[in-house]
Amino acid sequence: MDTSKTPPATATPPVEDERVWKAGRLEPMPIRKLPDAPPSVHILGPTVFLVALGVGMGESYMWPRLVLLFGPEIRWLFLIGVTLQAVVMLEMARYAMATGESIFSGAARVFKPLMWFFFIVAIAVYIWPGHLSAGAAAFEQITGIPWMVTAIAGLILVGVVFSLAKVIYNVLENVLSLLIGALVLGTAVVAAMVGSWGDVVSTITGMFSFGYLPPEAMSAAWFPVIVGACAFAGPSGMQQMWYTLHLRASGAGMGAHIPKVRGLAHAGEEEEMPSRGFMFDTEDPAELAKWKGWRRWVTFDALLLFWGITMLVTISFTVIAQSAVRLDPGVRDVIRDGEQSVALTAMANAVSSAGSTVLGGVFLGFIALIGLNATLGLFDSFSRGQADMTFNFIPGAKKIGMSRLYAMFLWGVILFGILILLFGPADGPASILDTLAFLSTFAMGAYCVTLLLVNNRMLPKPIRPKWWTNVIIGCGAVFYLGMLFYSLFAFGVVVG
Amino acid sequence: MGGRHSLELALPGASIGAVAGAMAGGLTLFAGQPIGMATLSALSLAVPLALFGGLYGMLLGQGVFRPGTFGPVGIYWIVAFPVSRLVQESLYGVGLAEGVLPFLGYQAMVSVGFAIGFVWIHERAMPHWLMRRADDNPIARDLLGLYVRHASLLQARKGRRR
Repeated sequence: MDTSKTPPATATPPVEDERVWKAGRLEPMPIRKLPDAPPSVHILGPTVFLVALGVGMGESYMWPRLVLLFGPEIRWLFLIGVTLQAVVMLEMARYAMATGESIFSGAARVFKPLMWFFFIVAIAVYIWPGHLSAGAAAFEQITGIPWMVTAIAGLILVGVVFSLAKVIYNVLENVLSLLIGALVLGTAVVAAMVGSWGDVVSTITGMFSFGYLPPEAMSAAWFPVIVGACAFAGPSGMQQMWYTLHLRASGAGMGAHIPKVRGLAHAGEEEEMPSRGFMFDTEDPAELAKWKGWRRWVTFDALLLFWGITMLVTISFTVIAQSAVRLDPGVRDVIRDGEQSVALTAMANAVSSAGSTVLGGVFLGFIALIGLNATLGLFDSFSRGQADMTFNFIPGAKKIGMSRLYAMFLWGVILFGILILLFGPADGPASILDTLAFLSTFAMGAYCVTLLLVNNRMLPKPIRPKWWTNVIIGCGAVFYLGMLFYSLFAFGVVVG
Repeated sequence: MGGRHSLELALPGASIGAVAGAMAGGLTLFAGQPIGMATLSALSLAVPLALFGGLYGMLLGQGVFRPGTFGPVGIYWIVAFPVSRLVQESLYGVGLAEGVLPFLGYQAMVSVGFAIGFVWIHERAMPHWLMRRADDNPIARDLLGLYVRHASLLQARKGRRR
């Protein structure tokens, strides 16, 4: 292990391990004990954030839409997209659990401008309240309350709750767990009532039609839409990077050595936040055994909780969409036209008007719920990520403290969101979402490259990724960037 | 007395099952269905789901299931959910167009999703209910002990700060 030993300054024997792990040119990480891993089979954990963020418009709208237009065979791309994301999740977790640092700090250890790139992309992409308006529009369909009122009230409520919370992570994990539980439970009941064996068989078998691309899909009108949908399969944009912050906050791996971020009302009680992470002794077999326990724990998260739930919700929504078209064939034309809010309403109406025992309101309720999940998760994640980078890399920011920086970014994005909703370009929800897809896709290609650099250069050899994992992440970079630039150069259109 | 104690543990699971069932049927009211029909449809799903949900809580108290595990619960709902749906369809459904076996097969697939959602919420709700009932109910106290041991294992690793 590439560590250096500093001799003790006094004759008194040192209480703590004095060895450090040097990674890049930034401050070395002290060697500390890796905590014991919890049982690998578990139910609740930080993956709830990734699911809350990941199960969004891609799953409930974009992919059901593509299935209706091109047939279930197009879903092989979704299978690849989500599986790739599960591997990315495991690799993000590798650095975060080994060091207690976010992937942003890892990027800074490789090359500081790389981190600033993500800092700027996060602001460019995530200050727009687009994700909020889609859910609020669905809520308007159910209740009649204007979507802008719901959206602004939701923004303020999120800010107040996060400011009053003692430990933000705990509050959010509880709330999101309940919301996702309700979403999964309800989606299953609705799918059980409107779908059929035939629907689900065609949906699942379609996932294995590798290479299927109908001629129409390779057109300037549709290829960018497919690229966008691939980017929205599972967590999109920078959501995977933020997952490293939630892993740390949950105390996973070496994250146990890092204090938690508190709400603004409790900022005074905050423990001192270290300016770098920690490393465990990777030459000690007992420590490596614990590390393997942590890897099993996170693998269970990636496979069952993340991959399983994302697949389940998408399959359910696809089945619902197929039923909607069977009940009212006119829905297909509306969906093809691409106005998201109109298409969602049409799907809801088709389901409810058929005299079936299930109602369109449930469907719209789920869209609203997904919007709420995404809003809670995004606001917390954005503020957490920006506060982390500011705290560690902007001189003088440490004096302000992590909790106050978090509150500054949180209220900044909330106030900007309200201003945009009131006075900004009134393009409507769908168009806001669509314009984000390009930057999202680009960021995803960029973080695949960052992951390769960070995990292979900044971690000790015994815990670096296997060669085949590197190949998959490398393919991820080619997949996202390749499709993005092919779309740009072949059709002159960015993602749709 | 033992029966009542055991029955008390059924409350969280029964509530989740009832709400999930009522959600589907109850919401048809908004869709313009006759109130009576919508209520009966809701009840015919809510009642069996509540019964099975409650039974799960009781079996948890008896040690048949362990807190925090998914596999056995998944298998439980693979049977219980299709049966509940069959009851609903038989009483107030539009008929099983595809036949009983494809119907049950499909419901069994969907039940995995239902099981995940059920366990997810149940694991959140049950410890709170047990804390309220632990003083008067020995079965609740024992089960709470299991949850506490599980939680303290997790707490132990979080407590090991530098």
